[in-house]
Amino acid sequence: MTLPRRAEPARVAGWIAAVVEDVFASLEEVRARMLGCHRAVMDRGERLTSDDIAQLRPELLERLRREGEGEVVVGMGMIVTPGLLADEPRRLEWWHTVPGRDPAFLNVDLDPESIGFYDYAEAEWFAVPRRTGARHVVGPYVDYGGTDRYMLTLTLPVRAEGEFLGVVGADVPVSRFEALLLPGLAALDDEVILINAERRIILSNSARRLTGSLLREPDPAGSRPEAAGHAPYDLPNLPWRLLMSARSKAGRAAPPISSAPA
Amino acid sequence: MSRLSGAARHAVFAPLDDGAGRSEAVARRLGRAIALGLIADGEQLPTESELATALNVSTVTLREALSSLRRQGLVETRRGRGGGSFVRASADALTERARRRLREMGTTDLRELGDFHAAIAGAAARLAADRASADNIARLREIVDRLAAARPAHARRRIGGRYYIEVAAAAQSVRLTTQEIDLQSELGELLWSPMRPALDQEKLHERTVHNHRAVIDAVERRAGDAARALTERHIEAGVQRLIELHFDLVERDGGGAGDPPAPP
Repeated sequence: MTLPRRAEPARVAGWIAAVVEDVFASLEEVRARMLGCHRAVMDRGERLTSDDIAQLRPELLERLRREGEGEVVVGMGMIVTPGLLADEPRRLEWWHTVPGRDPAFLNVDLDPESIGFYDYAEAEWFAVPRRTGARHVVGPYVDYGGTDRYMLTLTLPVRAEGEFLGVVGADVPVSRFEALLLPGLAALDDEVILINAERRIILSNSARRLTGSLLREPDPAGSRPEAAGHAPYDLPNLPWRLLMSARSKAGRAAPPISSAPA
Repeated sequence: MSRLSGAARHAVFAPLDDGAGRSEAVARRLGRAIALGLIADGEQLPTESELATALNVSTVTLREALSSLRRQGLVETRRGRGGGSFVRASADALTERARRRLREMGTTDLRELGDFHAAIAGAAARLAADRASADNIARLREIVDRLAAARPAHARRRIGGRYYIEVAAAAQSVRLTTQEIDLQSELGELLWSPMRPALDQEKLHERTVHNHRAVIDAVERRAGDAARALTERHIEAGVQRLIELHFDLVERDGGGAGDPPAPP
């Protein structure tokens, strides 16, 4: 396919957001299933148990299997707020893909007395949606407690009649996210940088702007879009900002192997 | 051409402990060893059963790995008397292999590899400034002279890797040396394969020789901080060039890893 060499920030943001929105759409369905399950238990006048949460399994496994070979999502699940369940103080119903095998249950240490305690209630991907009531994306970060990978984690709060039940979430490895989007971005004439709220680079098409590093300089002045940079573009409903500017000579020091006219 | 120590060769044939994707793991390890020149062009590999025993895998797994290496053009199997599996480390096969690897790696993988190499080689250079003997320094100079004279590119890869391993050895650290050997088997083929225009290739070679000589000068002056800083900066620049090349490869075959999502 032919890729455009020029694109407006809104259009580039649209490519990027489409990947994220797909994952969130999937999470919304998992959340609906969870809420249905919660309602049934309430109707019986009982309290939720870990068995009720386990009813999400077929749904989670089916989604992870469907991701297949070119998967974007490598982990998915429901994380229950501490103290909600009748039988267990904490519960992580989280499954992750294993190459060439069925998805596996993620076993983490949930004993608060233990030195390896996985204190998920304090994790940003849990605490922020609980506080704001809105969806959230964390990363890139090194997920050293759980999967030991460089990750983006997307979460949605689960609320029933004002009560916070926990979050549903999905893990997207930074490398998968990049592999999906880079072919389009590498072909662009503009330098493209995607940063998160702490100004950490999520994705870029410039070797001077490495994923994971902090962008220290201020955004280009938006008042002169004809000059070096476009105005910063905030992605709708995501804590992400897109910065685009004409490539400087240093941006891609080596001449492209393909002989595209400049 | 002198080779790495027996210990490094031994590590290549040590048992693998990983249960999943064993044939891939075997193919990867042998492929890297061939690319690094630990197993020389034309060398005959041990018999299938010997190799399977040494690596602690089944002969079925080993055969799968060998057939993957044959597809990559790195191994050739001859039948009959005097037959067996022979290493084919032709420049073309190695360059093609490096290009494929670079295309498949993400920019974060490349950055991580560079971060880690800068940490290991930077620490080794600083310690070498404290600990290197006159003999060590003479040895380092000799290696860089050989690097300066080396043609063609794949000969540079071998001797270029030797430089870092020798700096770690001059730091008197077995752990840093072992890490450096592993790193060179991952990085060496990417850094030195002639994937870029010949002109860039020569400039890179010139800059590398210049940098290594500056580091050895700093080691000789016992200026550890300078040796470390020069080493780190050189590695960072090298990784930046690899990421540029990765972008070029991705751009050239467009949606190789999946088309960009259609605009809404």
